[in-house]
Amino acid sequence: MTTRLFDHVRIVTAGVMLVGTCLTSAGAVAQETIRVGAPLPLTGPLSPEGIKQKRGYDLWAKTVNEAGGITVGEGTYEVEIIYVDYESNTPRAVQSAERLITEDEVNFLFSPFGSGAAKAASSVSERYRIPTIAATASSEQVYDQGYKFLFGTFTPNSTLTDPLAEIVAGSSEDIQTVAIYARNDLFPLAIAEEMRISANEKGYEIVAFDEYSIGTVDHASTLTLMRRSQPDWIFATGYINDLILIRQQMTDLGVEPKVLTMIAGPAYKEFIEATGSAAENVSSAAWWHPAVSYEGEGIFGATSDYVAAFEAEYGSLPDYAEASASAAGVILQLAIEESGSIDPEAVRDTLTQMDATTFYGPIRFGETGQITSLEPPVFQIQGGAPVVIYPEAVKQADMLYGDIQ
Amino acid sequence: MLYIQILLNGLMLGGLYACIAVGFSLVWGVLNVINIMHGSFVVLGSYIAYFAYVHLGVHPFFSIVLSGGALFVLGYALQAGLINRVVGAPVLTTLVLTFGLDLLLNNAMLLAFSADYRTVRLENPFGSLIVADLVIPLNRLYGMLLAGALTALLYMVLMRSRMGRAIVAVRMDSEAAALMGVNVKRIFALTFGIGALMAGAAGSLLSLIFPISPIASTDFLGIAFVVCVLGGLGSIAGAMVGGLALGVIQSFGALFIGPQHGLTIAFILLIILLIFKPTGIMGRRGYE
Repeated sequence: MTTRLFDHVRIVTAGVMLVGTCLTSAGAVAQETIRVGAPLPLTGPLSPEGIKQKRGYDLWAKTVNEAGGITVGEGTYEVEIIYVDYESNTPRAVQSAERLITEDEVNFLFSPFGSGAAKAASSVSERYRIPTIAATASSEQVYDQGYKFLFGTFTPNSTLTDPLAEIVAGSSEDIQTVAIYARNDLFPLAIAEEMRISANEKGYEIVAFDEYSIGTVDHASTLTLMRRSQPDWIFATGYINDLILIRQQMTDLGVEPKVLTMIAGPAYKEFIEATGSAAENVSSAAWWHPAVSYEGEGIFGATSDYVAAFEAEYGSLPDYAEASASAAGVILQLAIEESGSIDPEAVRDTLTQMDATTFYGPIRFGETGQITSLEPPVFQIQGGAPVVIYPEAVKQADMLYGDIQ
Repeated sequence: MLYIQILLNGLMLGGLYACIAVGFSLVWGVLNVINIMHGSFVVLGSYIAYFAYVHLGVHPFFSIVLSGGALFVLGYALQAGLINRVVGAPVLTTLVLTFGLDLLLNNAMLLAFSADYRTVRLENPFGSLIVADLVIPLNRLYGMLLAGALTALLYMVLMRSRMGRAIVAVRMDSEAAALMGVNVKRIFALTFGIGALMAGAAGSLLSLIFPISPIASTDFLGIAFVVCVLGGLGSIAGAMVGGLALGVIQSFGALFIGPQHGLTIAFILLIILLIFKPTGIMGRRGYE
């Protein structure tokens, strides 16, 4: 009797151990991870931008892992994003990218912030043949290096300035002169140059093209000159702190153009909060806006679902930089799943052939790796909130002229 | 008329620059400490003004008392508790200490307030005064006048009060002052506190004008540095003259050569001045 009881105990124990072993090995499969490196400016002058990008990536990774991970062939992988803070220092961004590839052995890379750093770091990922997605680089100079492993989610700068010039030219307003005021920095200057081309094509007279240096705390001299020359349209570029200050000083000095376009601040809610009623009728353009609507594939589904998920996580609406970062994750995930492998060459080949629609919009990359399928929205602050003016499919209101005080 | 407008712009900007630099100059002159935290002190003053306005409805012109008071306490405590221990050491030691403290303070502000830019938006903005086609933004004008009044008050304190004379005495010769019975360590702490107070008050005034973010601290520190060297180290009049000179030079530089070169012109003049008159415009005359 004792022996039989002992046998039972043994059988049960063996059974428990067997189940335990199975569970452990199942656990081991689920614990396999895809590592994605993300060098970001989490401190220093670019940290507001870096933190936005991180929020976008984090939301994607969290959503993927909660849904059970990425399916690759018959297995699933968890996502782990490895961040390195490069302190807004571009040379350090390049070192960080190399460290992520060689020491942390990441499978894929998300580019550092902006065109300049993304371009600098792309040479590293190309050398190690690591597929890299740039979520915040628009300038064509980033993609024209003949690299095979770099993909970008922002269309060229001209896709922002051409529709703006088109809309204003198509209005009944008498607008003839344009003054351009640009931060002397890669993206702000590049988009100002594009604006000059777009405005010239529409026959506008460029009465001034001025640059200001990074860290400028006063714009009074330029604005005083603008007050005298009274351009119909002022096009100012820079980052959010520059544009808040320029907008305030315009009010102080009584500069009141019929059209005021600012890139890239008004897309952020902080701009409207900081400038209040002075934000009214400021027009801008960005690569994405929460008002666009796409029935997307991928983890987030439709645009409205993504916006809801973002609001639930962070308590605010996503802006284009945050959405683009999440989209970079979705694109990578779609490419891995379609390849059925995490082999870098296979994923790269899938990315070049990709033809999908996500919450962010349709995704197709051109020969240089830069996205060609997006139609970036033009918007204007009306009644304290951004409303979409263009494209027609998602238009919410007509552009308003004047009343810029 | 254009030149008068540019001159006015430059003077108003320069007044704000002077206001940023006065406290920095005082600390550098008396303690021989280059306070890298100064920019962060200004930003902290701006945040105090911002929250006082948003939550308590206190106008930034009145919250000077709050921001100045809070910063005085912080400055006094830092000097008495930490910096006094190394104040006699070579300048690099104090520089490294204040640099380290600045990293702590600045990152604490980043954590507490985030890097998002904020501004104090008054319910009834001051608007601008327009006289014969000249535009004078009143927030800048009032800010500059108030900064001038505060600076004059500081000057009076240094001139007339017993504590002020003790600070000037320590500034001139700390060993002799100690022999005369002045508690030098306490004067150091008081001076550092007053320097921080001026930074906090400047922060309150600037909260109406510049976007507030911890990131702005390096810009303010850079301005304070240039103004001090330009005007002459350790003198209040020097900080005023240096600030006004920098503002006016920068404004005309931006007009004639382009806004991207406004600061370049100011720095070129600074280098020339350092070569030919290394003591700055006002020389090194102390606080007498």
